[in-house]
Amino acid sequence: MNCVIQELSVLYSAEEHQLLALDKVCLELAPGRITALVGESGSGKTTLGKAVMGLLPEDARVQGSIELDQRELVGQPESVFNTVRWSRVAMLFQNGAENLNPVHRIVDQLAEPLIHKQGLAKAEARRQAEQALQGLELDPALGRRFPHELSGGELQRCLLAMAFILDPEMVILDEPTAALDAMSKGLMGRIMCRARERGKALLLITHDLDLAARVADNVLILYLGQVMEILPARDLFPAPDHPYTLALGRSYPGLDTHRELGGIRGDAFYRVLHRHREHNGGVRPHSHIVGREAGHEDGHVPPSGCLFRERCTQAVAECAGQDVPLLRVGDHQVRCLREGIVTALVLEQVAKQYGGVRALQGTDLSLKAGETFCLVGESGSGKSTLAMIAAGILPPDQGRRFFEGRDMEPWIRTDYRSLAQKIGVVHQDPAQAVSHRFSVLEMVAEPLRIQKQVQSKEDLKALVREALKDVHLSTEPGFLKRYPHELNMGALQRVCIARALVTNPSLLVADEPTSSLDPSVQAKVLKMMLDLQIEKGLTMLFVTHDLGVARKIGDRSGVMLAGHLVETGPAAQVLERPAHPYTQSLLEGAGGKMALNPAGEAGRVEQGCSFALRCSRAQPVCRQAFTKPVQSAQRRVACHHPL
Amino acid sequence: MQTNSRRYSVLSYCLAALLMLYASYLLPRLLPGDFVTAMYSSSQVTLNAEQEQELKAFYTQEDGFGGYLLDFFRLSWGHSYAFLEPVSSLILKALPWTLLLMGGAHLFSMLAGFVAGVETAWRRGGTAEKAGVGLMTVLQGIPELGTGVLLLLVFALHLGWFPASGAETAYADQSPVRQVLDVLQHLILPFSTLFLAYFPGNFLLTRGSMVMILKSRFLETARAKGLPPLRVRYAHAARNALLPLVTRFGLRLAFMLTGALVVETLFAYPGLGTLLFNAIAMRDLPLVQGIVLFSSLLVLLVNLALEAVYIRLDPRMKHAS
Repeated sequence: MNCVIQELSVLYSAEEHQLLALDKVCLELAPGRITALVGESGSGKTTLGKAVMGLLPEDARVQGSIELDQRELVGQPESVFNTVRWSRVAMLFQNGAENLNPVHRIVDQLAEPLIHKQGLAKAEARRQAEQALQGLELDPALGRRFPHELSGGELQRCLLAMAFILDPEMVILDEPTAALDAMSKGLMGRIMCRARERGKALLLITHDLDLAARVADNVLILYLGQVMEILPARDLFPAPDHPYTLALGRSYPGLDTHRELGGIRGDAFYRVLHRHREHNGGVRPHSHIVGREAGHEDGHVPPSGCLFRERCTQAVAECAGQDVPLLRVGDHQVRCLREGIVTALVLEQVAKQYGGVRALQGTDLSLKAGETFCLVGESGSGKSTLAMIAAGILPPDQGRRFFEGRDMEPWIRTDYRSLAQKIGVVHQDPAQAVSHRFSVLEMVAEPLRIQKQVQSKEDLKALVREALKDVHLSTEPGFLKRYPHELNMGALQRVCIARALVTNPSLLVADEPTSSLDPSVQAKVLKMMLDLQIEKGLTMLFVTHDLGVARKIGDRSGVMLAGHLVETGPAAQVLERPAHPYTQSLLEGAGGKMALNPAGEAGRVEQGCSFALRCSRAQPVCRQAFTKPVQSAQRRVACHHPL
Repeated sequence: MQTNSRRYSVLSYCLAALLMLYASYLLPRLLPGDFVTAMYSSSQVTLNAEQEQELKAFYTQEDGFGGYLLDFFRLSWGHSYAFLEPVSSLILKALPWTLLLMGGAHLFSMLAGFVAGVETAWRRGGTAEKAGVGLMTVLQGIPELGTGVLLLLVFALHLGWFPASGAETAYADQSPVRQVLDVLQHLILPFSTLFLAYFPGNFLLTRGSMVMILKSRFLETARAKGLPPLRVRYAHAARNALLPLVTRFGLRLAFMLTGALVVETLFAYPGLGTLLFNAIAMRDLPLVQGIVLFSSLLVLLVNLALEAVYIRLDPRMKHAS
């Protein structure tokens, strides 16, 4: 059975205005496919499910079309829906126990549709109901019990058995795993996959991103009633295209992520529509988003433009101007004017030589806006060189650099100042990175002075204060007058971060920013940097030799070895299941294990892989030639014999 | 576990009944004087010592609580000295009329209130509903004495459609059909009085609990299952609204006798209420004692039955008690 939903809008009438729960949602549910509907609460997920079942309250106005095998359902009376309900489309509601009548036995509630919709005799219907319970690994004797006598997991399975009792062609599952333990969750996933094999069309409504990524075929990301992105489930965590999808993924505490949980700046609860009377007597329809801070007075969002732009970190002025359609980008569909998350920085085959030392050899690197990329590797592997080339401070000997789509070389030659304004740099040792003749105010204000964009002294001071507040430092006049030797390392590094951020850059290149700090201060500084990233949408290139730090803050990691980027990929994968023996050695070293080949020694191999001398998997070929990196899915590895 | 708790509950009811019997045995014995003195103290007749002895022996047995209990089960509950008949035969004669009137009114007002409450709650939001709820709230405030007097004045005395007193026409040798009609005709006014007194409460209670239940998620499930509308309304929604009504029914039964006292007396209906009223008026202590004991045991019995009904109605009660 095919279910085609087109331009479905649902409006709830509230007192003075209308609540827009769904806004022109298009969706097709095909047999043998699991479609996941993901979004924050209030995004309209459940409303969509109920609309298909015809269960919306009377004050809901439904527009658009829901076709079940070419038969229109919107606007049909209850009796038409009754022919479809449960026999063709069934639903598993959220909140378990509340969905069962407390005064009827489980088996009777399961058998009810068989009796009243299929006309089976009571005894036969009961027998089939007990069979259905057995099919879900439940004791059929449970059926004799009442809902309050069952555990949450058992109830959820009973509800699932009930949803499948008439063998419907389509099942809507609303938060099926919300209250389940890991075991029941696994079972729920298996049942869903089994149903898919039997050719059922499943709509999975969930905020459990992990479940959606594991069992669904494709995922719809819903935000305030609008579809923001449609993407294959396998791309949900590693390669989202919409900034909202990325932010959702960062907020989800998955088992595979080690990164600190992120969030999404701002709030959005629901969308309302109402009409404003104007002075000339006309009436202007008008919509706005209601959030915690965005009250009616200051939270107006004009009827056009991207709904997410207030919370989006890559929004530009044009985002407010026009309604954005779903754009096709690769095999994703994205509702974003900028065609999804933009690429902030691209380095192509950049190389650098200091005298006879080849510090960096033909390296590619590309950073997406808003991500944190951690460069790890042993000292002398070229991390800092690569970072400084990326920051535009160090010119490469060869290769090309693009920042926000512009070639950096001519940019640096003609208008370096405007580039420097967009890239903030934090150096390794704060004590050496500042002039000890400058006060805090002078240090932080220096980039602004160079940029010459701020004229008055008062404005300058205000910006400095704001930057200091961002990094949780004092803004007292006394503090502004202090000199570096009066500050401890942690405070000084924060001053350096404030200095890097005072021009409001979009890229922050940080070279070992926390290596000179003790752990407690490091924790504070790292947390602060991640918070700033959520608020400002910073792209971060973070150089560290501390794999623990890379794991905690990185979205992606790159491993450097003798001037080569030998492995890149999602931080969780690279640092959890390394593909390059060198990465594994680094991890073992970090874990205190001395697994390096004792016969080997550090040294440069002119032709082949620099790790060959120390590698337990090394073959003669490793010493003869360096292999080009091989891309698979999200990872890139340069090794003849990857793990 | 389950049978245990039920056995425990039956035992505790038996104990309560025993306590009541003991109280009814003890209380008259604690009174100063005795029945015979009480009976003849205000009358013109003076008894000689021999007659007094004889009467006292007739009205009081002195073989202890055990003998009293034995007599109770033998239905020898003493002798009424106002009606000069055994108390048990008086009670058993009046009982059917009370059961017909009070039981009928209770049951009927409960059923009608239930259905009306369910249907009104289902169609909530209309003006008819608001008007109905308002009217019922007013009606509930009028005591049965008021409605009774009003009905009596209008339909019996003014219009003359119904007889003003009695349960049947005395000494009329009629065919069975006519006899039934005659009983019904006599029943209508007291029945209506009681119905008007009980219906509004049942209606309001059902409607109230139904409105709460209509918000439950399991009703959405029932609707989603595509069940016939009547099944959703009654098997799922109304079934859950039944509980508070049954509770009310049980509580009301405890007041059955006082209700009967007023209405039966007003319409001179020959039930337990009238009997009790007359017994009190004539200081017929054995009769009063018998009626009070009988009705309190009846209330106990009904409560015991209701407890069983509860568990059938709401399985969650099994763990609550």
